[in-house]
Amino acid sequence: MTRRLELPIGLLMSQGGSYEAVSRVMHAGAKLAIEEINASPTQSVNITPVSIDPAGVLSNYVEGARCLLQEHGLKHVVGCYTSSSRKEVLPLFEKADALLWYPSHYEGFETSENVVYSGAGPNQHIVPLTRHLLKQFGTRGWMVGSNYIWAWENNRILREAIAASGGVVLGERYFPVGEIDLSDVVSQIIEDRPDFVFTTLIGQSGFAFLKMLRSAAEAVGIDQPAEMPAASCSLSEAELPMLGDAAAGHLSSSVYFSTIASKENRRFVALWNDRFGQMGQASADAEAAYLAVHLLARAAERAGGTGFEAVREAVRDLTFTAPQGQVTVDGDNLHCWMRPRIGRSRSDGSFDILVEHPVALRPDPYLTWAHDVHEGDSRNLRLIQ
Amino acid sequence: MSRAIQKNFRGLRALVIMAPDSGHQTLEGTLVKLGLEVTVAGGWPETTDNPVPFDVIFFDADDGSDTALSETGFADLPLIALIGSEAPSRLAHVIQNRAASHILKPVRSSGIFTALLLAVNEHAVRMRHKQELQVLNRRLAGRRIVTKAVMQLITRCGLSEEGAYDWLRREAMQRRIPMEDMARHAIGLGPDPAQDTGLKHGRATRSD
Repeated sequence: MTRRLELPIGLLMSQGGSYEAVSRVMHAGAKLAIEEINASPTQSVNITPVSIDPAGVLSNYVEGARCLLQEHGLKHVVGCYTSSSRKEVLPLFEKADALLWYPSHYEGFETSENVVYSGAGPNQHIVPLTRHLLKQFGTRGWMVGSNYIWAWENNRILREAIAASGGVVLGERYFPVGEIDLSDVVSQIIEDRPDFVFTTLIGQSGFAFLKMLRSAAEAVGIDQPAEMPAASCSLSEAELPMLGDAAAGHLSSSVYFSTIASKENRRFVALWNDRFGQMGQASADAEAAYLAVHLLARAAERAGGTGFEAVREAVRDLTFTAPQGQVTVDGDNLHCWMRPRIGRSRSDGSFDILVEHPVALRPDPYLTWAHDVHEGDSRNLRLIQ
Repeated sequence: MSRAIQKNFRGLRALVIMAPDSGHQTLEGTLVKLGLEVTVAGGWPETTDNPVPFDVIFFDADDGSDTALSETGFADLPLIALIGSEAPSRLAHVIQNRAASHILKPVRSSGIFTALLLAVNEHAVRMRHKQELQVLNRRLAGRRIVTKAVMQLITRCGLSEEGAYDWLRREAMQRRIPMEDMARHAIGLGPDPAQDTGLKHGRATRSD
């Protein structure tokens, strides 16, 4: 057997802080891929990770990236969750000729030659969800979110689509990350009776909101999941256990759900449950990190080395059969071709997949090629339930 | 007409509005080197002062505040946006506030002088245009009165159109008043604006 290529990588993911639930799951997903690759007799790389925990603090990401790139001299780092942390560390990667493997869905409007984006972009999450909501539920929407870029940008897209289809935004409110005093906005939503509620609240705020909305709706006899569903582009399996008996009936737009029926996914879910089952069911964030590490390993293998430019060129147009299905890295923008899906949560902590795009959708981070969002593109969406 | 550009900013009072987390030291340090007095704030300060005690404002376009500045004392100052996210929802905020230039985040020391120079000079041009616009608007509003006065001078006094116009202009110049005010007086809508100057009342006669 030929000698394996040594591939040292950094993992820059928070183990504490306001979004720890998600970033811990991402860290676990990356570790799962590393263990799998290192244990596989057919792989030709051996990965050694160095983990740094920025604990959700922006300045720690800069220090962490500096340490990984300059002190450890690494060329590849898998990490960051929020866009603000990615923006902060990006100049360090440019300066060091290094690649950031960014494993999270995000709002788009960036194409860096120093980043490989393995999560969904706007044309793969908010755009299909917007179409689904306007077509299936109506055009009177309420938007509530945590006060940061993810919420603002998704709400802008939804707001413009609602306006273009002659609908109305009944309300739009933002709260500081972590806010759980949401009773006023919940009362207002119940009074306004929108066709749907779009939420970009994250972490504790999101859990509190969904629980309060459900019980307030029940108190006045509204079948909330059917008449006034709550929809988001981030609710995942990792969070459903936090919702208690309000876990079922929420819509989520994602390229991955643990219930995807495929050989690769069944294998991934079994691996996950065996190794990290205590963290909840496998989720999109875990899968995106798992995917990022596999893409990195394949690209290094293809390049026959671990250098920045060789690996970046090798990852262009690279295809990998991921748990979510076949994923291809776009040769132009280094985002991934993936299939948008819309799921509805179940009480057992997983999702029923309601809608899925029949083929992988080309990533369009600047929404340059997306049709007007309100126009039905439904011929491309297959209702499977 | 070309004017000298302002390129020395010594003594300008800068307000930097940036979250404490996002590394404003580079910006602050460079501004101090450029001779500015710098105040750093975490958010838009509550102020009733108008004008506010600053000459230039740097604001973080990524933060959550959608403060509409049009009603505040900050509206008439050169604004420089600090931009991290290029998402349209954030850029809309920059446009609404009419930032005169911008700096991309994370802030590097190069580029700050350019952004400051562009903003201060662009703002000066905007202020001049604003004043010119006010003058033009006032003149436009008076156009109807002038036309009316010219028509009356033609029909009542037998002046030519050109003669009537010349007369109005000359009388206005003698009284050192805008032509619109002179016209208003000539058609009896206003008092003689030059009563106190010792000049004769406006006469609708041919002046030789």
